[in-house]
Amino acid sequence: MHGGGGGRWGGSVVGAPQRERGSFQHLGHLKRLMSYVRRYAVVLVVGTVGLAIARLALYLMPWAQKLAVDSLADPAAEPYLLIPALMILGVVASQFIIYVPARRVLRRISIAAAYDLRKRFFNVVQYQGPNFFNKFGTGDLMSRAVNDISMVRMVVSFGAVNIVMFVFSVIAALWFMLVMSPALTFWVVLPLPFVAVIGFMMARGMFPFFRERQEALATLTSFTQENLNGIRTIQAMAQENQEIDRFRRASTRYAQKFYRAERYQVIVGVSMTLLTMISPVVILLYGGFLVLDGELTIGSFNAFFGYLILITSQVQSIGWSLSMFTSAAAATQRIFEVLDYPPEVVDVAEAQLPPDINGRLEFRNFSYRHPGAARPTIDGINLHVDAGETVALLGRIGSGKSTILKAAVRLIDTPRGSVFLDGRDICEVPIRRLREAVTMVPQDPFLFSAPLKENLTYDKPDRGEEAILEAVDAAGLTETLGRLVNGLDTVVGERGTTLSGGEKQRSTLARGLIRRADVLLLDDCFSSVDTETEEQILGGLQRMRSGKTTLLISHRVSTARHANRIYVIDNGRVLESGTHEELLAQGGYYADLEAVQSSQDRDRARRGQLLRQLDGSRGELPPLAPTGSDVA
Amino acid sequence: MSEAATGRNYSAFDAELSHQALNMRLFVRLLLWARPYRITLGTSAALVIVGAAVSVLMPVIQGPVVVDTILAPNEAAESRFNFGLIAATEWLSDLFAMSPLAAAVILFVGLTISHLLLMVAHQLTLASGALKTLRDLRLDLFASLEHKPASFYDHVAVGRVMTRVTNDVENLFRLLTGFVSLAGQFVPFFFAMFMMLAYSAELTGMVLMIIPAAAIATYVFRVAMREIFRMVRDSMSALNQYLQEDLMGIEVVQLSGREEMNADEYGALNRENRKQEYRAINYEVVFETFNTSLTSIAIAVIIWYGGGQVVQEEITLGALLMFNTYISMMIAPVGTVGHFFNTLFRAMASGERIFQAIDWDERLHEPEEPVQLPERLQGSVEFRNARFAYPASDPVLRNVSFAISPGEKLAVVGPTGAGKSTIIRLLARFYDFDDGMIFVDGIDVNHIGSGDLRKRVGVVLQDFHIFSGTVLENISLNDPDISRERAQWAARVVNADTFIRDLPDGYETELAERGHNLSQGQQQLLAFARVLASDPEILVLDEATSSIDTGTELIIQDALHKLTHGRTCIIIAHRLQTIRECDRILVLDQGTMKELGTHEELIAKRGIYFTLHELQFQDSVGAAELARRKRREEDGPRWVERTDEDEDDVLGRGGVGGG
Repeated sequence: MHGGGGGRWGGSVVGAPQRERGSFQHLGHLKRLMSYVRRYAVVLVVGTVGLAIARLALYLMPWAQKLAVDSLADPAAEPYLLIPALMILGVVASQFIIYVPARRVLRRISIAAAYDLRKRFFNVVQYQGPNFFNKFGTGDLMSRAVNDISMVRMVVSFGAVNIVMFVFSVIAALWFMLVMSPALTFWVVLPLPFVAVIGFMMARGMFPFFRERQEALATLTSFTQENLNGIRTIQAMAQENQEIDRFRRASTRYAQKFYRAERYQVIVGVSMTLLTMISPVVILLYGGFLVLDGELTIGSFNAFFGYLILITSQVQSIGWSLSMFTSAAAATQRIFEVLDYPPEVVDVAEAQLPPDINGRLEFRNFSYRHPGAARPTIDGINLHVDAGETVALLGRIGSGKSTILKAAVRLIDTPRGSVFLDGRDICEVPIRRLREAVTMVPQDPFLFSAPLKENLTYDKPDRGEEAILEAVDAAGLTETLGRLVNGLDTVVGERGTTLSGGEKQRSTLARGLIRRADVLLLDDCFSSVDTETEEQILGGLQRMRSGKTTLLISHRVSTARHANRIYVIDNGRVLESGTHEELLAQGGYYADLEAVQSSQDRDRARRGQLLRQLDGSRGELPPLAPTGSDVA
Repeated sequence: MSEAATGRNYSAFDAELSHQALNMRLFVRLLLWARPYRITLGTSAALVIVGAAVSVLMPVIQGPVVVDTILAPNEAAESRFNFGLIAATEWLSDLFAMSPLAAAVILFVGLTISHLLLMVAHQLTLASGALKTLRDLRLDLFASLEHKPASFYDHVAVGRVMTRVTNDVENLFRLLTGFVSLAGQFVPFFFAMFMMLAYSAELTGMVLMIIPAAAIATYVFRVAMREIFRMVRDSMSALNQYLQEDLMGIEVVQLSGREEMNADEYGALNRENRKQEYRAINYEVVFETFNTSLTSIAIAVIIWYGGGQVVQEEITLGALLMFNTYISMMIAPVGTVGHFFNTLFRAMASGERIFQAIDWDERLHEPEEPVQLPERLQGSVEFRNARFAYPASDPVLRNVSFAISPGEKLAVVGPTGAGKSTIIRLLARFYDFDDGMIFVDGIDVNHIGSGDLRKRVGVVLQDFHIFSGTVLENISLNDPDISRERAQWAARVVNADTFIRDLPDGYETELAERGHNLSQGQQQLLAFARVLASDPEILVLDEATSSIDTGTELIIQDALHKLTHGRTCIIIAHRLQTIRECDRILVLDQGTMKELGTHEELIAKRGIYFTLHELQFQDSVGAAELARRKRREEDGPRWVERTDEDEDDVLGRGGVGGG
């Protein structure tokens, strides 16, 4: 049902909404991360200090080389080689002893922070209501949970520490260089701020190119996916070559965007290298003259190159770190947008467990307006289902039927004082308890990628086989079950055996029936089932639901006619109500529906009349064009 | 339909290929696509080699030229191999009467800039050549997928096929560019080694002992990490899949009160992922440190041993400094190779998957000399002892014979598995079958090109597949032969015009793939318009089972009437009023013809059709009873318990539209 996407998370999420580009205004959002990092504050400080010490040790290496080279360059001096070589080995040892554990704890913090964020994210998301899910689609939420959290993890792991280390490294290197030659240091360091600024600007200039490339890829991917999903239609209409042409255009466009991004990257790389090459040239020229003037030793001359390399790598990465900071700030904002969202449906303080439930469901003057909707979806509905009754709701698409069912299980934020179970306002019943007593089977037949058995016993996995088989039988699923190679252990859902729409619908029905709830709500659960099977299921329903309350939505008269009472809903109001016979006698919408859905000759005249009425209200139907003729 | 039914091993398509062995055949094949761009790619390779040579000269200036001849003059330097750089410096300084140092710096700057320019040209030509190669490969792959027959898509998950077009081709891009950029690092490796040997074989030998150590360590690390990285990836994707499913089924989760249980399950996956990540970083940090330490150790060796050589005047000080630079140039690629091997193996599996899809030998038999159809067909259809079985399974059609005259409408009814949808599949030639079974205007359909045939035989499936695009594009399917006027005319005829004009942008309204912005009834009308726009002489239609509200239902009935008017039609009907519109009714059961005749004839016959009719229109309880009784009596047709969708989703799997 849901496409399947590229199937691989971790990279970019296809179909995710356009992500906002990070900017400095977002940086404030990073403060929110503090609560996740604070508990590791001590470790963080210790780790950073460790990194600083290890880096300081690294700065001894050019110095060691300088000592050796100076001794070699001066013919008068005693060669001084062993100690510098051992110094370097000491530096190597220090990296293993200090750098490794320090880096390790810092990276563990980032993993732990991501872990904590994910945990909270999941818990927050699970308790949200329809407004939340309208605002954030599944793809959007996945993108926040996958890409944004990993972005945050990067910034915790590298970003902050990199900036601290950058400052520290530059100061340390400057100190060593100043000791050797202040004048040369000035000229060598002069271009470096430009390298940092330009590096940062170019890293950010990359965004549009990269985004265009990603967009072209997303277009290509969704084109391919759609094409393959609709391959039967395309082949049936003999449009293959047409589609190949369109694919050629899409993939050429992607190649072009890719090339442009690549070209930008190459040019950025060259410009950066050119800038960073100014400093070595300065050392070579000005440093060389200083050596010739005897103001600088050859060892120092050489060590300048060493320190320069150490600084340059830091300077180059600082631009990257900064741009990562702004992206991570935007990512943080996106994560907390979700985490801060207040749950719509919550237990009220006085919620308490009711005693045994009879199953009388009543809607008293119930009105509901979807947030942002111009007019109410439900407009003062009064209806009731007595304990043990079966009641059917009929009506056009969008008439508000589903909202009525959702209100009874608080899948929407049901207003207080409008829905009552056994005379008690359902808002005063704990949500868990309410949803145990009142079970709803939603319209969309969703199955998890898990064994059929787990899907059927989703609410209570420890149900016995007998109960399962009974529900399977009542839902008309027995034959399907017999066809599945591994029976109840067959994995179904997106990553399992494909079931037909009707089979999925019956599986979800079985999942509802198995709970033997006091009240069962069925939201159009027979739409993909043919009339004959429906009869069988209705028989099963009678068996399993006798004496219990059932409220169902249907579009078919053949389903509704069995109900104790039928309500026709239109525009959020009750249009007609009564038994099958009463409604037929009324001659309203229900009677029309009955006429349309049957083929009895006595109904033909009536159908023609209805169609004419419909034409009148929807404008003239065009005259029948002669078959095969084209229109000029 | 089991997978074995076709006798092909489709599971190969689902298997996660991951190869550990090098397969040179794959590269050779890939080169076929690179062929048109061989000049670009060859230039790119040449540029990287020249660039590498230039980059090796730069340390010569820093060391032997500047240090040995200018800063600390040493006569020994000039006798050493230096590519004439010392001479060039002297010549330059004489020519412009500048100090030798300035001349050396000018040479250095010149080399730097030419190296950069070479690398820019190299990278741009490489990207251009590789991208074009892969665009062509992708196109060929897509074209081959486009022509795979229905039987292929019956068995293969679209998602799996799709990743070949997207991810797998991307992986090959990384392979192609990775290969060349690896060359960009290894060429200097050998140039540098050559230079070092020219100066001191002894010191070179000492220093290069590091390389095998680095290589072995890298290898061991990769082997150890492969498993760990795989576990990190697996735990991550398990985590994300769980979250995704939980979100998609959030209503079910909440209605089942599973929130806490799922939080526990997700928590377990989250902990597992954290554990794997913790394990992975232990290795990663150590390896990272090890890699940087190798250069340091080599430098320590150069200082201690090479310094001794300077003292003994075997090498110059400048050469010693040059060695320092070279050794970092040489050790860097060793780490990259390890990284490249990951890319290589991934790309090889990708290549395998791509070529598997291209090579997949499953195609429809096309006639060698297709019959040229006249401008307009009469529209007669005949099935002559038609029989058909999917490979390795029981026949789904047994000796079905009937003839429909031009303009006649035939309703096909029968229970699931009766073979109704097979009739559609065969008539549109979605499967191969024997000659002499099915005729259109007296011509064996096997002698007609499938594309030509499908233009004359319009197929309306139960599920209308909406492509994202405008309403107009969804009607015309971007077929240039279908003008805007024609598409609008078709929409008007099938009563779709009214609702289309009510959409925000009329015919230009963008539709989403899953069509959430259209009702099912509207989708059906669009399906009618789509087929009417191409004006087929013969129409094959699978009626949708879903029922809709009164108004829409009537409009659809009316549209169906207009659509079928004057066309030869075969309709798999679910509603009796549709059946009543047809001239004759064919009752199929388990692949055999049971009844054929008009409504009145079949009612009079009191057979299967009669039962069905009673079942649907008389008192339902009584009808169910009747059905049960009949079933016991005949042990025959199974009217109940299975929906038509179970298998007869005409051309494919269920659940395409729906939600």
